[in-house]
Amino acid sequence: MNAADYFLRNACDEAPAFITTEGQVAYAQLKAICARLADELTGCGIRAGQRVAILAKNSPLWAAAYLAILKIGAVAVPISNLYPLEEVQRVLDFAECKFLFLDKPAQVKYASVCSGLSCFLLENNLLQADSTPWLAPDPGFDLDSDAALMPTSGTTARPRLVRVTHRNLQANTESIIEYLELTAAERMMVVLPFYYCYGASLLHTHLRVGATLVISNTFAYPETVLDMMETTQCTGLAGVPSTYQILLRNSSFPKRELPRLRKIQQAGGKLHNALLQELAASRPQAQIYVMYGQTEATARLSYLPPELLQSKIGSIGRGIPGVSLKVLDENGKQIQPGQTGEIVAWGQNISPGYLDDPEASREKFRNGALYTGDLATVDEDGYIYIVDRKSDFIKSFGHRISSYEIESCLLQIPQVVSAAVVGLPDEQAGEQIAAFLVRKTGAALTEQDVLRHCQTRLPRHMLPQSVIFLQALPLNAHGKVLKSELRKMKATA
Amino acid sequence: MSLPEIQETLRNYIAQNILFAPDGFAYNDDDSFLENGILDSTGVVELVAFIEDHFKVSVEDAEITPQNFDSIASLAAYVSGKLNHRP
Repeated sequence: MNAADYFLRNACDEAPAFITTEGQVAYAQLKAICARLADELTGCGIRAGQRVAILAKNSPLWAAAYLAILKIGAVAVPISNLYPLEEVQRVLDFAECKFLFLDKPAQVKYASVCSGLSCFLLENNLLQADSTPWLAPDPGFDLDSDAALMPTSGTTARPRLVRVTHRNLQANTESIIEYLELTAAERMMVVLPFYYCYGASLLHTHLRVGATLVISNTFAYPETVLDMMETTQCTGLAGVPSTYQILLRNSSFPKRELPRLRKIQQAGGKLHNALLQELAASRPQAQIYVMYGQTEATARLSYLPPELLQSKIGSIGRGIPGVSLKVLDENGKQIQPGQTGEIVAWGQNISPGYLDDPEASREKFRNGALYTGDLATVDEDGYIYIVDRKSDFIKSFGHRISSYEIESCLLQIPQVVSAAVVGLPDEQAGEQIAAFLVRKTGAALTEQDVLRHCQTRLPRHMLPQSVIFLQALPLNAHGKVLKSELRKMKATA
Repeated sequence: MSLPEIQETLRNYIAQNILFAPDGFAYNDDDSFLENGILDSTGVVELVAFIEDHFKVSVEDAEITPQNFDSIASLAAYVSGKLNHRP
C-alpha cells in the first residue's frame, strides 16, 4: 500500500490531527487538503517518481503537501527552512526537483530559487479546502519505490540524500508504534522539524494511530512551548539532546506540573547521563525512552525500555521490533562485552542507499546491512552502549579517547548548560583535547574550576588541554553540535 | 540610554554576530525574528547573554517570550523597561 494511504487509514475523521496556535485541523480536513494538493500536482504534470520539494516550517499544510506527494507516487524532498539560499539551490538541483511547495516566509527568503520550477504557496486559505475526494488505495502500488529523499546532517562536498521507500516508512512506523505503545489518545508536542527524520517519524507514527500532533515552531522561546503543552494537555514530548539541555537548565520545565505528560522520547545523539538523571528526577510520572537511529534507517534502530533507564543508564538499548542490531569487530564477528565494534543493522527500514552516490552507498550499505559508523560496546545482557562516532574519537598519546566520556564529566558541573569536546592536531600528542562549554547565565565558572573538576574525575590522558567558553554551541539544523565548526573556531583563534 | 540607541545596539549585534551580515541589519524593526528565520534557539540564548552582559540587566527565563524578544522593536522596549527599573 502507498504510505499516504497507510498513514491515514486508521484515523477517525472527526478527531483532531493537528493543533496549532491558530486552531485545530481534523483528519477529514487533512484528507481533503491532501486530495486537493494531489490534484494540483497531477494537474501540473507531476507523475510518479518525479521529485517534489517542501520548504516550509512545520504546519498541517506541510504534512498535507508531504502526504499528497506520497499519494501520487511522487518523491518528497523535505528541505530545511534554515539552510542558506545556496544550499537549498544545491539540493533542488541535485534532486532534480520539478515542483516546490513553500510557505510565505520561505517564499520571501528563497525568492530566487523559485524561478525555473513550478512553485505552490502553502497558505492558510487551503484549510478551507472543499471536499476533494480521497482516491481509493491502489492495490498494485510498488512498495519499493522511493517515497522521500531525506537530506542527512553530514556536511559533504555535495548534498547527500537518503532514499526512503514506502516499505521503509511503513516498517519503521509499525516498529515504533509497537514499542512506544502509541494509541489514538496521544497528544504529541512537536518541536522537531518534519524535514528531519526524527520529526518525520513523529508525524508518521501519530497519524497512523489517529492521534493528535501539537505543533509549535517557537522552541527558541521554551516558555511558550511549555505553556502550549499545558493548555493542550500534551501526553508526549520528543527532543534531541539540546532540547532537554535547554528545558532542564534554561526554562521552567523542571518546576512545571504537566500532569498529562507520560511519554518522553529522546534521540538524535547522546543525552549525557547527568542530564538524563535530571530529566528522570524532574518527571517521575513519565516514561523516558532513550532511542537511537539514523536517517539511513528511515529514523529508528533501537530503544531502551523506560523501566531499564536506571539500571542501564547510558545505553541505547537493543534493536526495535523488526530490526536486528549487532556490534561487529573488524572481521565481522560479534564482539564480547568489554570490546568495541561498529553497530550494524538489518531490517525492512534500512534505506536502499543514497541518491546518485554509489561510492558512499557501497561503504554504508553492505550485503543488505547498514554500517552505522557508530562505535559501541555491549553488556552481558546484550544492551548496546555507544562509545563514539568513528570520526569523533580523539587519538592522543596513543590513547583512543571517547569525547562522550569527557563531555559527560563536564556536564556534571551544575553551571554547565552544554559541552562539546574535540581533538585538535598537536605535534606531540597527535591530537590535543579542547573542551567547549556554555555556562548558565550569570555563572562565574572559570577554566580553573573546570579543570579541577576534571582532574578529580578523569584519568590524566583524558584531561582537556584547553577550555573555551562560548555563548552557544554551533548546531546544525537538526540540533546536533557541529564539531567541525568547533575545530575551525579553535584553529582560527 | 535612549530607545533609538538601544535599537541601534541590538541591530548591530544581531547583524554582526548572528546573521554575519556585513551590510548590517536588513530587516524592519517590527519584523518577527522567528518568522524571518533571524533567530533560532541558539540565537536566542546568545542574545540573552549579550543583553545581560552589555546592558547589565538580569533576564529571567519567564521573560524570554516572543512578546519581549521577537523583533528589534519589542526587544528594545523590553531592555529599555529593564534599564528604567534597575535598582
